[in-house]
Amino acid sequence: MPASSASATPLLAVTGITKRFPGVLALNAVDFTVRAGRVHALVGENGAGKSTLLKVVAGAERPDAGTLAVDGRPVRFAAPRDALRAGITVIYQELSLVPALSADANIFLGMEPSRHGVLDRRATARGAADALRALGADFDPATAARDLSVAEQQLVELARALARDARLIALDEPTAALSHPETERLFTQIRELCGRGIGVVFVSHRLEEVRRIADDITVLRDGRCVFTGPAAAVDDAALIRHMVGRDIEYVRLHPAASTPGPVLLEGRNLTRHRAFTNVSLVLRRGEIVGLAGLVGAGRTEVARCIAGVDPLDAGSMLLSGAAYHPSSPREAIGRRVVYLPENRKTQGLVLGLSVRENVTLPTLARFARWGVVRAERERTAATQQVRAVDLRPPALEREAGTLSGGNQQKVVLAKWLLAEADVLLFDEPTRGVDIATKTELHRVIRSLADAGKAVLVISSELPEVLALADRILVMCEGRISGELSAAEATAERVLALALPASHAA
Amino acid sequence: MKTRAAARFGVPLALAGLVVVAGVFIPGFMSRANLATILLHVSINGILALGSIFVIITAGIDLSVGSVVGLAGVLAASALTSSTVLRLFGPAGAAVLAALVGIGAGALVGLVNGSIVARLGVAPFIVTLAMMTAARGAARLVTGGVPIGFPDPGDPLYARKIAALDALHAVGGGRIPVPGLPTGFPVPAIVMLALVALAGFVLTRTRFGRHVYAVGGNEEASRLSGVSVGWVKLGVYAIAGASAGLAAVLLVGQLRSGGPDAGMLYELNAIAAAVIGGTSLFGGIGTAWGALTGALLIGVLNNGLDLIGVQAFWQEIAKGIIILLAVLFDVWMKRMDARRWREKGAGGDDGASTS
Repeated sequence: MPASSASATPLLAVTGITKRFPGVLALNAVDFTVRAGRVHALVGENGAGKSTLLKVVAGAERPDAGTLAVDGRPVRFAAPRDALRAGITVIYQELSLVPALSADANIFLGMEPSRHGVLDRRATARGAADALRALGADFDPATAARDLSVAEQQLVELARALARDARLIALDEPTAALSHPETERLFTQIRELCGRGIGVVFVSHRLEEVRRIADDITVLRDGRCVFTGPAAAVDDAALIRHMVGRDIEYVRLHPAASTPGPVLLEGRNLTRHRAFTNVSLVLRRGEIVGLAGLVGAGRTEVARCIAGVDPLDAGSMLLSGAAYHPSSPREAIGRRVVYLPENRKTQGLVLGLSVRENVTLPTLARFARWGVVRAERERTAATQQVRAVDLRPPALEREAGTLSGGNQQKVVLAKWLLAEADVLLFDEPTRGVDIATKTELHRVIRSLADAGKAVLVISSELPEVLALADRILVMCEGRISGELSAAEATAERVLALALPASHAA
Repeated sequence: MKTRAAARFGVPLALAGLVVVAGVFIPGFMSRANLATILLHVSINGILALGSIFVIITAGIDLSVGSVVGLAGVLAASALTSSTVLRLFGPAGAAVLAALVGIGAGALVGLVNGSIVARLGVAPFIVTLAMMTAARGAARLVTGGVPIGFPDPGDPLYARKIAALDALHAVGGGRIPVPGLPTGFPVPAIVMLALVALAGFVLTRTRFGRHVYAVGGNEEASRLSGVSVGWVKLGVYAIAGASAGLAAVLLVGQLRSGGPDAGMLYELNAIAAAVIGGTSLFGGIGTAWGALTGALLIGVLNNGLDLIGVQAFWQEIAKGIIILLAVLFDVWMKRMDARRWREKGAGGDDGASTS
């Protein structure tokens, strides 16, 4: 059936879409075409712009430039409602069901069959049962959504799309939380959708899955479309090359000392159920260790456990040779181990407080006598650290929420410099930050290591890991899948270790 | 920066406007005696509002405040008129002990609230709703449902009990002579003003105060920064409880008795004052000064309407409208703020939610 529709007018044609967020060009003149009855895979690394593109297609973000056409007719989506009316449904990774409502109520949410405002329960049940049967679901439609498995919830979302007569269904990382048999079943369902002439957009970074399901592939990198065409026209090696790319080259910053210092932190067989298993690692003074891997590989979870945010289930840690088992971030901070979270806005900063107040939050006791903060001392200390990270402008009293992403990261950094941290665990330190600030942050991170601190950097951006790290640990599905020295690391080798299937080798 | 826009400009302006209008149109409003009366009437609610903002700034809520006023009041009144206490400490000593009992009982209830919220992670609304009912029940249980206070004329300790009630009345209903003010200045108002200064100091100048704002602004970031979130929460509920206890003591002094039904719905008045005064129920925002202006605004409104003989029912309606206006003004100011940001092209936030 793909062949029959290949020549027809595309179901959805996205042309020259550009979307800019302050400091970031999320989408740069992207073209993207979905045809009826075909699966179009959208691949790329984190931050490549996949989610932004989906949001534009779903009407959740308005593009700064470019056009969308459905069936060849130009459309403008002011809100998700408009996209739904045009037959476009996007199913996000974070499923959007109302947990307390039954599956059938969720399917008809917002378009409940009713007579004079009274719900028509029979029509709801019948419609839901039909849609679910079409997808091969075998659970009771009266079950509350929260009692369904992730796979079943996904089915409810798909059934909702069918009940709405969707003609294009986009799935954002649908297999991320699925087991192997569940993934197989989802693939069957996707093919079933295609058989009905529905166009499917499949977002994933699992190449093996993309290979199996996709008729067409589009690769995004740094907001640009670097490849689009039939799946048959590109082999795996080319696909990886497209994903990784070569054009952001960061300057590799070499460590000041030729050999790293003594071991500061050592973790042995660290395990946290459902997150990571048997992770062993060593952090040395003066060394930057990169922790690479795909989203969901367990990198953040490892860092959080080291920083006392979450408890470990098994394994032991040594800090400067002494036993180290932090039960809270407070305790870890006391031992000078700090975690710089991935999400500055929700975890790194108190946005309503000023820069000064954020910087001194963990160390306020130092500037207080009898619990009373000595303002002058606090200001002096904060000023010093804000200068050290080169915050521009160094406005101490500005609310942290009004700063750009790069400046916010600098404030987080200033906070931990003031706390005299020895072990710094960076989680995606340059996410959402422009290139110039990225380079600057890299320099700051390098100088921390040169000053004798042990640094761990989690980054999903391969060029960044390659430029920064003296040693790279790669995680895959909760385990360390390999270790590479800076000299032997290449994007391809890291990616090969990071991908679940041994495809990229 | 830690007040909502409405409190920074709107509420002080509205308060000033209201005072001017009332002064011009209502005879007797501007008299010193009347102004002193307003302060007296505001003081209980003001004190409760000051305690409540600590909780509200951490994004919590304390609904048990009114019931704690009842419970702490009957306990304080019991201590004040207890024969044993009077024999041991005399009337003045009993008054001091009663004050300690009232404040201590309030703080204790607050600690229970706080520990359930902090350690068990139950929603503050539920915890304090349960406490609201339980504390009221306890107050009625202690007294058998009748007020404690005035002794039986046949009581062998009648004179000493009256003396004890008078001693506490010197605080709760007392007036400090001030030249030019024949009625004197009400002591509870002095207590309230002192507490405004104290609460303001604690919130803005101490480590604890900073942590209160931090926890309310972003609990997760605070925890990751090593703030002991649990202790902070325990602290704010204890403060709310202690201030309710203090209010109860003043009330017992003023009325010369402690009734189990005292303080009914006071928590809502306190929350109203806090909200009008710019405290955000979402946490992270609020000031002691704001709580005072909020309480004053309600007090001036009630007093003005009283003087022109408006029914109490209408006063309730007016209060409701004021609460809505304060919040609406705030929403409007925020929208203006956002627009100003956009025009500057600074984009208040980098919104870098790329894929």
